[in-house]
Amino acid sequence: MKITFVKKILVDGNPCPKCADVEKKLRQSGNIDRIDEVLIADVRDPDSAGMQLANDLQVTRAPFFVVERDGDVEVFTVYFKFVKQVLGGKTNSTEEAAELLNDNPDLDYI
Amino acid sequence: MNSHKLASDAVDQTPQQVLETAFDQHDAVAISFSGAEDVVLIDMACNLSDAIAVFCLDTGRLHPETYQFIEKVRDFYGIDIDVIFPEAESVASLVKEKGLFSFYEEGHAECCSIRKIEPLRKYLTEMDAWITGQRRDQSPTRSFVAQMQDDLAFSTAEKTMKKYNPLANWSSAQVWQYIRDNDVPYNKLHDRGFRSIGCEPCTRSTAPNQHEREGRWWWEEATRRECGLHVVVKDE
Repeated sequence: MKITFVKKILVDGNPCPKCADVEKKLRQSGNIDRIDEVLIADVRDPDSAGMQLANDLQVTRAPFFVVERDGDVEVFTVYFKFVKQVLGGKTNSTEEAAELLNDNPDLDYI
Repeated sequence: MNSHKLASDAVDQTPQQVLETAFDQHDAVAISFSGAEDVVLIDMACNLSDAIAVFCLDTGRLHPETYQFIEKVRDFYGIDIDVIFPEAESVASLVKEKGLFSFYEEGHAECCSIRKIEPLRKYLTEMDAWITGQRRDQSPTRSFVAQMQDDLAFSTAEKTMKKYNPLANWSSAQVWQYIRDNDVPYNKLHDRGFRSIGCEPCTRSTAPNQHEREGRWWWEEATRRECGLHVVVKDE
C-alpha cells in the first residue's frame, strides 16, 4: 500500500489552515510515519505535483489522501474517514463534527 | 466531493411535491425545524400526512422567544417535536477550556460543531432522510442547494442519506407570503427585525437593505474560507 498526502499552499504562500491541522494530527498520532509521500498543491502553480495529481484524479478539495493498494486507487478528502478506513485508527465525534462542518459550511445555518 | 453538488434531476417541483416524494420514499424521514420561518414545512407536511416526525436542535443558546415558539408550534399543530441536545461532556469541555463566548474570538465553527453538528449526526443515524428549510437565497454557501440530494455528509458505507430541501427554489418573500396567506404562526423575533434566527449570541436583527446572512456571525467574513483547489494566477 502506498499513501500520498496532498496539502495545499494558498495564494498568499501560506499553508492552508486545514491542511496544517490535518498534518498536525498526523504527527501527534504518529501516523505521519505511514505516509509514503507528501505533495504540495500550490494554487499559484498548476504544474506543482499536488495540483497535477488533483487534476489527474479530478479532486477538487484539499487536503486529500491517495491510497494505492492492489492496483486500486482510492481518494479520501475527509480526514476522519481516511483514519478509520485506511489506518484503522480512532477519531472522536467532536473532531468528526468539526470536519463535517468545515467541508459542508451550509450546515451551520440550520 | 460536496454533497450539495449531487443535485438530483428532479428540480422545480413545488415544496409540497418534494415533501410528498420524501414521505413516499422513506419511512424514517424527519423535518428539521429551527424555530424560524421553516415552520412552513410543518404546515405543509401536516396537510399531507397525519404522522410527521419533526426535530429541533436545542443548542442551549436559543432566544427565549424561540423556545416559546417551538412550544407554540407543538400545540398549534398537535405534533410531537423531538428536541435534541448536544453532548453535555463536549459542551462542558469547550466551556471549561474557552469560556462561553469563544466564537467571538475564534469563529463559530467549533461551537456549532459541538452544539449542532455532533447531535445532528447522532440523530440522523436513525434516519434514512431528512427535510430542511434551506433556500438558495439564504447565503453564498447555499447557492447550489437542490430540492433533493444525496447527503454525503451524513452518509455511511452502509447507507446513503437523502436530503430534501423543499424550499430551495423559494425566496424569502414567497415563504412570508405563504405564512400570511395561511395564517401560519411565526417566531415573534421576526417582528423585531430578525430575518434569520439562530443562537442568541450569534443572531441580530438586520436592516431592510441587508442580506439576512448579515444577521448571523456578523463579526466574521461573509463567506467562509474554502478548501477548493483552483489555480489562481496572480497579476504581475
